[in-house]
Amino acid sequence: MSSKRIADYGMIDRSVPLEFSWDGQGQSGYQGDTLASALLANGHSIIGRSFKYHRPRGVMSAGTEESGAMVTVGKDEGSKTRRDPNVKATTQELFAGLTATGQNAWPNVRMDFGAVSGLFGRFFAAGFYYKTFMGVPPFESFSKGTGIWMQYEKIIRRAAGLGESSRLPDADHYEHGHLHCDVLVVGAGPAGMHAALSAAQAGLEVILTEQDFELGGDWLNQGDTAQHKKRVDLIKELEKVGVRIMTRTTTFGLYDYGVAGLLERVTDHLSKPSEHLPRQRFWTLRAQHTILATGAMERQFAFGNNDRPGVMNAHAARTYLNRYGVLCGQNAVVATTNDGAYTVASDLAQAGAQVKVLDTRSDVDGAVLDRARKNNIDVLLSSTAMQTLGRNNVMGVEIANRAVGGGDWRAAGREQCDLLLVSAGWSPVVNLASHRGERPVWDAVEGCFVLPENLNDPITVAGSAAGVWSDTACVSSGRAAGKAAAKAIELALAGKKPRKKTAKKVDAKAAAKAEHLYEVKVAGRKLKGFVDPQHDVTCEDVRLAHREGFVSVEHLKRYTTLGMATDQGKMGNIIGLALMAEALGREIPEVGTTTFRPPYTPISVGALAGRSFGAHFRPLRRTAMHDWNLEHGAKMMEVGLWQRPWYFPQGGEGISEAYVRETIVVRESVGLCDVTSLGKIAVQGPDSAKFLNRVYTNAFAKLAPGKARYGIMLRDDGMVMDDGTTWCLGEGEYFMTTTTAHAAKVMVWLEELLQTRWPELKVHVSSVSEQWAGCAIAGPKSRAVLEKVLANSDEISNDHCPFMGVIESTLENGVPCRIARISFSGEMAYEMYVPSDYAASMMDSLWVAAQSFDGCLYGLETLGALRIEKGHVTGAELDGRVTIEDAGLGGMASTKKSYIGNVLRKRPAMQAEGRPQLVGIFPKNKDNKFKAGALLHAVDANVGDPNCMGDGWVTGVTHSPTIGHWIGVGFLAGGYKAWEGKTLICADPVRQGDVEVEVVSPHMVDPSGNRMKG
Amino acid sequence: MAASKQIQVERQSALHGHYEAGLFGLQADREQSAAIVLQEVLNLSLWQVAAWPDTYKSVATKISKAYGSKKPLGPNKSASNAGGSVLRVEPLKFWVIGDTPANKGKDAIAVDEAVWVDQSHSRTQLRITGEHAVTLLNQFLPLDLRESQFAVGDVASSALHHVGVTLWRSQEGYELFIPRGFALALWEVLIEGAAQYGYEVI
Repeated sequence: MSSKRIADYGMIDRSVPLEFSWDGQGQSGYQGDTLASALLANGHSIIGRSFKYHRPRGVMSAGTEESGAMVTVGKDEGSKTRRDPNVKATTQELFAGLTATGQNAWPNVRMDFGAVSGLFGRFFAAGFYYKTFMGVPPFESFSKGTGIWMQYEKIIRRAAGLGESSRLPDADHYEHGHLHCDVLVVGAGPAGMHAALSAAQAGLEVILTEQDFELGGDWLNQGDTAQHKKRVDLIKELEKVGVRIMTRTTTFGLYDYGVAGLLERVTDHLSKPSEHLPRQRFWTLRAQHTILATGAMERQFAFGNNDRPGVMNAHAARTYLNRYGVLCGQNAVVATTNDGAYTVASDLAQAGAQVKVLDTRSDVDGAVLDRARKNNIDVLLSSTAMQTLGRNNVMGVEIANRAVGGGDWRAAGREQCDLLLVSAGWSPVVNLASHRGERPVWDAVEGCFVLPENLNDPITVAGSAAGVWSDTACVSSGRAAGKAAAKAIELALAGKKPRKKTAKKVDAKAAAKAEHLYEVKVAGRKLKGFVDPQHDVTCEDVRLAHREGFVSVEHLKRYTTLGMATDQGKMGNIIGLALMAEALGREIPEVGTTTFRPPYTPISVGALAGRSFGAHFRPLRRTAMHDWNLEHGAKMMEVGLWQRPWYFPQGGEGISEAYVRETIVVRESVGLCDVTSLGKIAVQGPDSAKFLNRVYTNAFAKLAPGKARYGIMLRDDGMVMDDGTTWCLGEGEYFMTTTTAHAAKVMVWLEELLQTRWPELKVHVSSVSEQWAGCAIAGPKSRAVLEKVLANSDEISNDHCPFMGVIESTLENGVPCRIARISFSGEMAYEMYVPSDYAASMMDSLWVAAQSFDGCLYGLETLGALRIEKGHVTGAELDGRVTIEDAGLGGMASTKKSYIGNVLRKRPAMQAEGRPQLVGIFPKNKDNKFKAGALLHAVDANVGDPNCMGDGWVTGVTHSPTIGHWIGVGFLAGGYKAWEGKTLICADPVRQGDVEVEVVSPHMVDPSGNRMKG
Repeated sequence: MAASKQIQVERQSALHGHYEAGLFGLQADREQSAAIVLQEVLNLSLWQVAAWPDTYKSVATKISKAYGSKKPLGPNKSASNAGGSVLRVEPLKFWVIGDTPANKGKDAIAVDEAVWVDQSHSRTQLRITGEHAVTLLNQFLPLDLRESQFAVGDVASSALHHVGVTLWRSQEGYELFIPRGFALALWEVLIEGAAQYGYEVI
């Protein structure tokens, strides 16, 4: 293959030369080149190495179907990467500074030591690795099961494969977006452009997507100046009628109800893109109607060494000549089964190449032959390519011929050439309709799969995607599709269905006469013909699969890897089916076709992630005093989506020192804690009390204004759902707080109850979690702090606001607030809420006051320590398996009223004495430590018995500054009374080992509650 | 009960300390008007009015009239006048924006017809205008915001970066109401997304 750039050809801009790098060497191309065209222009023939055998591969096509020129583009840049493996050089737009390297080769694709594996190619047939290394002697004796396979796999993966991803983070960023239109037109060839124009002229909003960077499709390959002008005018017309044109945009998938997935490559063609631009945009488009003008792909047929560099789709050579000004060879042989390739042959001959055509047919239209002869093209009828000659490049071709009218192929001499072009007809690109579950039907005349006339979705197929081949027919087909889309939308708006089209009549005579070539076989010759060059799948592999009992095309695909990975059946699907059909003695449609799946072409993982990565992987939720907490030294932690203060270190304190200090200060003076994340729900309406009384286990019907009450909610099955307090603000006005973890769940639950069980109740529940910012003021000095910050300090007196009292008041600075005297810490404590925009000012006021009592700020760690000392439950205990009795709160279950969960909580199993119940836990040796998550079991338990599940578990631990050693809470079968005075083992085999513990009441500090009520 | 006293401190929005006015992104160094203009509307006044199944028609009629609409608002529609705006955000629920309940909205509705709850601090209001305002919104919202589908006055509930938001197209632009706790996170993704077109924060 001796490709070169030639003058006066192509649409490239020769005034803009572009320097780029290939395997470390400087190269040049022009604006408008693809990487493939530029490499060909620079005379490169070996661009890649094959997957398994490391055979040299060159450019085989000019589009997305490329199976040979797979390269790695970009490189690692410092601590980040722009390296992208498995890029098809045929679709990579050239830009100045582009860096490309060969892959799956060492030291490079031109001289690859890995090619030694090709010598053993006869052993590496389909299934070789599985049959050899998985459970087959002698290898199975080395190890067991998959263990040995795991070792082999590493070596195999190193030896075979495609390109390698970088392990560094992606240097680029990606965007997601949504689009809406009336009509989506996929593909901007002659049919697509006219379909878009026609639909837009009918008054519809149209989006036209094109994966290429130019509009025109096959028009770009024809080298026709007059047509070029028409194309430019048509683009102007499309813009004029408001068609949104999206080039460099692949419609990679179609989904339910008019949803399409689009990938727009924004900067993949730019030398120095702005840092603000995303590399790619992943669009979700919703259209009322979709027109598929996705074109067709030229097919090859299999023959000996048909993967050698220099073998190419016939029309690809025309594309390189007329679009990129590259003559792919000086001495070309065109092996064809149809008239189309004669146009290619003529164009090459006119550009100065020696051309010979091998036509499988014995009877060819005289006009076609006349044109060939005028261009000095030799034509051999009843002939074809049997095998390529050469080593790393095509040096010639062995020809096969047969008797006029058919018969077996036989060797018929050799012909020197440096380019072998192959055309076995065209296959419409039906992938997108296949995504929608449409099964293509076999067109025996054309030898390809086409879509049925009537599709289930509002989709119209136009142009060569519909099996329409000539330019003029494609234009007409496009126009008709645009009008059909308009009509379909009109009918849909009117609630009518479009009339079904009459299925095309099969031309039985033509079908019977049609002869299609899938493989050239010559008796007595062993030919290594490739069906899917990307995966090194040969014709023999398909036959082997058949011999081994594979009959389903889907199984064939998985066994041989035919049509998998980035190829997705583009190159060898039909040949594979044909060979399988032949082996099975069936017709191709009886074998079926594989179902194409999205994406049509590969999508980078970054594009799938969009902006959901790093800090924005999930939305961060900050309390209204988040910055205030940070300014005051908070170390934060994530609690669900919330960012909450963990602890407030002083000096060089770590968490262990900080929380102990904070706990002591709260017990002895006062501490402030951000509790904004608690769920807050406004319960309003005349029936609110009745509603609350049905939701909570304890009595709420008579909760008076100015009072709060702690409440437990059960699920229907009687298990505890959540706990919290509800404050009565006035007649029909309540303020409910929930745990942070269950805020949304409780809100949804209350809505559900009102909507489905008690629609007659006049109650509205509204989340006010974001409206109110909250601070817990806990400790013996808490009231004194509030006295300092309230405009009227009398309002917080014990008379005005006793334990479980509620007031609505005003801070010194005029900010309104609501306060309840409730305690999670066991100390005298209050929760104060202000409208969120005043959170920082509330904290400023409280902090000044708290400091005057040597108070502290505290975070979740201290909150946990205080509540464990007190034996209060949280989400760690209320995990959905716990009854109200288990949690030690059975006294709150009313016997005088009905409420959610009331009946099912009384099931015998729920009331069984041996159920795990909340207990406090002390280590026997007070110097010992134990951890949450550990299991509890009796000293004499038979832990070796697989049925021994232990007697309980630990849910929370802390080092208690008040008690002076580690303490914990957990659940234990039978509860405190069953284990009083006994020693248990706290088993934590992975982390801590065994620790002897004893069980105490969960209320380990101030069990009488005097401190909080005082 | 609370002693009435003048509030002596200013409200501090969720974006306080993170909101910087100026030109940013792609067009920041060019002499062009920004493709996207972002503005936080401070001191939001937002009251939710929730009617009952037997009063919602009456409430819709009265509250719509109070804010300039002769006809009762349908779901996801709004009305505005000099006194403020009302958005019908749910079949039974309305948002009164830019007005206080003491004014005509509340005056018009009987106590037993609806309940009112203050949500003024629960949302951060962002106003988005400019040539690429819809493009930016559609980077996150799956809503059909084409002119023919989402006109001035329309309201929608949707999800932006997994967070439930309310979008209202006012005379001034696209008004986005974001739950306060998520406002900064969503502001960050919005300005990151806007940078590719160039944006101005005013």
